[in-house]
Amino acid sequence: MEAMYAFFMDKAGMGQAGAHVTVAAIMATLMFIVMALCALVFTWMERKVAAFLQSRWGPMRTGRWQGWAQAVADMLKILGKEDIIPAEADKALFIFAPLLVLLGSLLAWAAIPWAPGFVAADLDLGLFYIFAVSSMVIIGILMAGWASNNKWALYGAARGAAQMVSYEIPLALAAIPVVMYTGSLNTQDIVIAQQGGIWNWFIFRNPFLFVSFFLYFVASIAETNRGPFDMPETESELVAGYHTEYTGMRFAFFFLSEYANLFLVSMIAVLLFLGGWWAPIPGLDFLPAALTFVIKGVLMVFLNMWVRWTLPRVRVDQLMHLCWKVMIPAALICTVGAGLWMMASGAAG
Amino acid sequence: MDHKAIFDLLAERIGAGAIAFHEDPIEPWAEIAVGRIAEACLFLRDDPRLAFDQLMCLSGLDWDGYDENGKGKSVAILGYQDDGTPEPGDRTATGDLGVAYHLYSHSLRHKFTLRVRMPRDRNVVPTVSGVWPTASWHEREAWDLVGIRFGGHPDLRRMLLEEDWVGHPLRKDYVMPGSWSGVPLQGQPFSENPFAPAAPAPAGGDTPAEG
Amino acid sequence: MAIEATNGKKGWGDQDQVPGIKSELLELNMGPQHPATHGVLRLLLHTDGEIVYKVTPVLGYLHRCAEKIAEGVDYKQWVVYTDRFDYLAPMTCNHTYVTAVEKLGGIEVPARAEHLRIATAELSRVASHLIALATFGLDMGAWTPLLYCFREREEILNLLERISGGRMLYNYMVPGGVRYDLPRDNWVADVLEFVTMMEKKKLPDYNTLLTYNKIFIERTSDVGIITREDAFAYGCTGPVLRGSGVKWDCRRDDPYSLYHKFDFEIPVGMGEMGTVGDCWDRYIVRVREIEQSCRLIRQALEQLPEGPYQSIELKKPVRVPAGAAFTRTETAKGELGHYIVADGGQKPFRNKVRSCSMCNLQVLEKIGVGLMVSDLVATVGSLDIVLGEIDR
Repeated sequence: MEAMYAFFMDKAGMGQAGAHVTVAAIMATLMFIVMALCALVFTWMERKVAAFLQSRWGPMRTGRWQGWAQAVADMLKILGKEDIIPAEADKALFIFAPLLVLLGSLLAWAAIPWAPGFVAADLDLGLFYIFAVSSMVIIGILMAGWASNNKWALYGAARGAAQMVSYEIPLALAAIPVVMYTGSLNTQDIVIAQQGGIWNWFIFRNPFLFVSFFLYFVASIAETNRGPFDMPETESELVAGYHTEYTGMRFAFFFLSEYANLFLVSMIAVLLFLGGWWAPIPGLDFLPAALTFVIKGVLMVFLNMWVRWTLPRVRVDQLMHLCWKVMIPAALICTVGAGLWMMASGAAG
Repeated sequence: MDHKAIFDLLAERIGAGAIAFHEDPIEPWAEIAVGRIAEACLFLRDDPRLAFDQLMCLSGLDWDGYDENGKGKSVAILGYQDDGTPEPGDRTATGDLGVAYHLYSHSLRHKFTLRVRMPRDRNVVPTVSGVWPTASWHEREAWDLVGIRFGGHPDLRRMLLEEDWVGHPLRKDYVMPGSWSGVPLQGQPFSENPFAPAAPAPAGGDTPAEG
Repeated sequence: MAIEATNGKKGWGDQDQVPGIKSELLELNMGPQHPATHGVLRLLLHTDGEIVYKVTPVLGYLHRCAEKIAEGVDYKQWVVYTDRFDYLAPMTCNHTYVTAVEKLGGIEVPARAEHLRIATAELSRVASHLIALATFGLDMGAWTPLLYCFREREEILNLLERISGGRMLYNYMVPGGVRYDLPRDNWVADVLEFVTMMEKKKLPDYNTLLTYNKIFIERTSDVGIITREDAFAYGCTGPVLRGSGVKWDCRRDDPYSLYHKFDFEIPVGMGEMGTVGDCWDRYIVRVREIEQSCRLIRQALEQLPEGPYQSIELKKPVRVPAGAAFTRTETAKGELGHYIVADGGQKPFRNKVRSCSMCNLQVLEKIGVGLMVSDLVATVGSLDIVLGEIDR
């Protein structure tokens, strides 16, 4: 980043403002490309993981090797689909909703520290910012469900809104012990604080953080609306939930945002608990920082898929019960416990 | 308890309502007067000596054209002529309608069969859906397909066919309507060879030819 | 005005709970194209938010009036239509019909044919129960058991294809026997191998994956409870009746074919995870029935006698003397019955089919009230209906 600023200011002769705009544009484009790419990769990966867990092959034809081009082919197909807007739908909202959903997940990507110094927006409130903007997804889902003028979509949207609003609380609470340890909301600072091998990762710092990690993981599954908490979709109950009426590219936006969100929460888990770009053992230091980070993220995504394709879905009231009566108290206990542990071990600061 | 004893108990209760007992070797059955059937069923269910807790089956029957030797016009499915219109029927149905009830007792492990029979123009039978709730759908089906009305049924709608369907298909004199709600039901006229290649599309037609 | 009208004191069906805001029940069409209605069932729901206030099943989307067709074709020809009733376990439906015709016509059946019938019918039952488990899991959002169960069902279809020539609609049994003898390869050995694998390996797999999964139990226990009284009153049969704790099986208690010769148990719901008669009980009854069916298949094939497999030549028509009889047998979904009125001709005068799925579904009108939409989906799944048989 610094190098890029220096390059544009000194070599290309731009002013400070010009350099800022150029770098921001480059980073935004890069993020979007990475996001679209990861959606492609993860669709393929999800199919292969599901197939592996279900003792079948999954896509094998398109692109010869393990059907790698299936996701590309699907995207092309989905681009060519007819775009249908129901006659009774609220047109403006119907069109805007998928964009808002996508925007919510895209904005959050800005504060992800891929490697030392390599972050699109190095904010002091980075973590806070990520949680804040990713809440926009809820508005998009609610909007989509309402605008579709379909009862199933409305059900999905109402469930989705209730679920995501509720699960943001344990999600954020689970991150608080980490913030207490680091003393900063800056995402880079959080990663830097975990330097020095696997035992310095926050997940292994103390038992409360260990529990916090699992709370975060469960809440993040609910936050991304994936099984066993896929209430807004629940394809066996609500047909397809909030995106029942969506077709073609607009549907693809929801799809894209689901996988973008999936990778986002996995990367946040990595940066909060799993040491960010630091290699687990010194022997793996030779890997580039960004690569280490992405590998850990992909492993988390795999874990997420594993859970999705193994477990049945919970009911909507059980979901709420789990959130308000189990996870939030547990997260609060972890926060207090981690604080006490910190004081006891003198690690504050 | 054997069938005759059950019938005697029943006759004791409803008197002349129990018309006759038929000692059929495969399945003995009792003929009950139409008006007394609900009463008879309630008795059969509630009497502890009988305790028929399950209605296995309720069948609507159309006895029109029944002949013991198989010579009757029992196979009166009217065909269709080559142009797709129904064959003209030369016979008006006059036979009786009927309902058969097959009962079973889980606790005492015995079966019993009741039948009622009524003339075609007085096709009303008291419902037994108050005795066994399961009769409700069986009776709706009998109304739908055989056209037997069940007096006192809480919700006697057609079950399998649409509410505005004309006729009751399992009646022996049923003729399928030519269309329903604008949908033609008879299909295309029969041709000698249904697999013959279709006639070439008229010039300028935008229908693609069969591949 | 609305304030006086509602007075804030309604709810549960007669909405308008908040003064000044007009609210009413939501009318929701679940089906006929809906992933959880197992075919073309349409459930008209009236819901109060997530709670179901009223369920009205609407049937007839698959109606073919097979009973009318029966009056126009002769006894043997109609076997193919029984295949299309319960298309997930056609052998059991075949069995019901041929049993009914044989009872009425006084037709002797060779023992070998009965053994083959029992073996194929039980294989079919296993296949049907596998689908029931699979789709029930799918209704709960568990995808993986679906694929596992279909993998095993595929094996059964392969086996049945080898003996009957069909993969889904077999037309295997005819009045007086079965259509074909054993294939000339080692079919029996393959079936026995499959049965052993099913018992030893596959069922424990399903149990760990689905049956004793905590979320699955949470979703299905104490949900959609059918009491013993309701089950009798609504004419529920098969696994639904046994799930309500009634130890009743047509194969043992009202025997037909050669089932009385074989040794098997009748699993019943015992309320292990909740109340007797809940969805989990109906589910576990099916799992345990698979085990018992495997036992039956093994006995039927190991004791397979030599001899003819048809008592009437295939091309000869069946003649049934005048009379009427109701016959019921235990199919995979419940007790399927045929009330055949014969007039002495080659065709039945009337053939009424007592559909077990229809009676099992009817109870939904009662137990569906007050459930959540998700629970309703679970309950419909646990009833394991098949629309081909309801609509006929």
